Amino acid sequence: MMIQATVVAPDVAVVAHGLRRTFGRREVLRGVDLEIRRGEFVALLGRSGSGKSTILRALAGLDRGATGDVFVPQRRAVVYQDSRLLPWARVLENVVLGLDGPDAAADGRNALREVGLTGHERDWPKTLSGGEAQRVALARALVRHPGLLLLDEPFGALDALTRIRMHALVQQLCQRHDPAVLLVTHDVDEAILLADRVLVLTDGRLSLDVPVLVERPRRIGDVAFSALRSRLLSELGVADSSDAPPVHPRQEYLT
Amino acid sequence: MTLSDVRAGPSPIAATPIDGPPTGSSALVKLPLAGAAVATKTTRHRSLGKGSQRLIGVVLLLGLWELASLAGWIRPQELAAPTAVVSAGAHLVATGALQSALWASLQRVFWGLAIGVPLGAVLALLAGISRSGENLIDANVQMLRFVPIIGLESLFVLWLGVGETAKISMISLGVMFPIYINTFAAVRSIDPRYHELADVIGLGRWQRIRRIVLPATLPGFLIGLRMAMAVAWLLLVFAEQINASSGLGYLIVEAQTYFQSNVIVVCLACYAVLGLLTDVLVRTLERVLLPWVPGR
Repeated sequence: MMIQATVVAPDVAVVAHGLRRTFGRREVLRGVDLEIRRGEFVALLGRSGSGKSTILRALAGLDRGATGDVFVPQRRAVVYQDSRLLPWARVLENVVLGLDGPDAAADGRNALREVGLTGHERDWPKTLSGGEAQRVALARALVRHPGLLLLDEPFGALDALTRIRMHALVQQLCQRHDPAVLLVTHDVDEAILLADRVLVLTDGRLSLDVPVLVERPRRIGDVAFSALRSRLLSELGVADSSDAPPVHPRQEYLT
Repeated sequence: MTLSDVRAGPSPIAATPIDGPPTGSSALVKLPLAGAAVATKTTRHRSLGKGSQRLIGVVLLLGLWELASLAGWIRPQELAAPTAVVSAGAHLVATGALQSALWASLQRVFWGLAIGVPLGAVLALLAGISRSGENLIDANVQMLRFVPIIGLESLFVLWLGVGETAKISMISLGVMFPIYINTFAAVRSIDPRYHELADVIGLGRWQRIRRIVLPATLPGFLIGLRMAMAVAWLLLVFAEQINASSGLGYLIVEAQTYFQSNVIVVCLACYAVLGLLTDVLVRTLERVLLPWVPGR
């Protein structure tokens, strides 16, 4: 697969055409066509093992074995489910890893302030909580001013309360920095809460591509929310048993 | 919440005395946590007891040994009594013989390590980082490591004579293997997710080595270093007992000739202390170089 840095159109951040990937005899991606506009937040849903992360890795430029045409911005950043901080580097060193130049440290401090971790610059990663570590990973991504931010289930390992706070923080940061975002998740509610558009990956192809028209601030349980939720769940092959009020505690998301 | 809060509050846990009479299966017991007056006292007692008990054990053994010597159960030419060992040590220090022997031995170990450790580490990094490096280096090292180093002594003497070079070369070679094997294993067991991170971030080759490979390899290298120190002392004793005109090993051989078991024990004690000191050195290195490892 060739990743080319050519600009396709001024308002487009990602174009993937005929993206295919096979592992052995298993065809995981069978021709995915995908476009993400600049500043657009797209969530990619799919069952586990459906190849969501394979798409993300291909867009990150990490998968040399994929085929197809992919155009992505030069600056890309990935936040994984594990924070993937280097345990032997202090928090600030992790944030500015690989950056040089006189402003690197100052930029790193700024990024840490944005994620609310001022004062933790000299901490060792192993002393951080899961949520704090993810915020450092977020700072490490944002300090690079990515044109494309790839989020690979970044909230998956967090407890419910921390996840709510992280959702709000990610929304706020994405509004400020305005990168194109691809969020890979298996959490339908999370996708609806955060994304401008939701894609569903089924059997190696994008089987659904819907804009999220629920008004912000979005609330789980709103009529439009529930309707989209049911549709996405049925696309994923799960019966939505919650016509009654949702089992979740009522959460409010301020943007 | 502080402990005083717990005590002041009307908590049922605080209200139940620790060694109070059992009042049935529903009774609560106070956990003897650190910070409580009673608990501190017992902890201090125990740690003091442990230290002094260990000391008592050593003193007891030395005392038995002394008694056995006094009673004539152990003959002095077989094993000198502790007091005889101490006086022999004092005599060796007074004449300066022990110091010069120690100095000669330390120099050999130092140069052996100074050459062997960097050599092993560099070879391991080359083999660990590049495929061609592995093909060139690893097979050779894996083959050579099964050759007993002590068996190479004859070759070294043949090549380098009986001087210092032969001894230092043998120590260097022996030290190289534990360093190489542990460092190579550490390079190879670096979590591939960190390499992927380096790809995403776009770290260059040198940055990748400096930021990821070297720090990730350091703990394995230090394990190798600890083993290398032990090997260095072992080979030193061997080399010095075969052919040397100075050093602790030479002192031992000399004492053996004159049936001076007290001098032999002094030298052995020196080896033990030196081994202990190198271990402390590596532990200190670990503490200084691995501040991110929790529990240090």
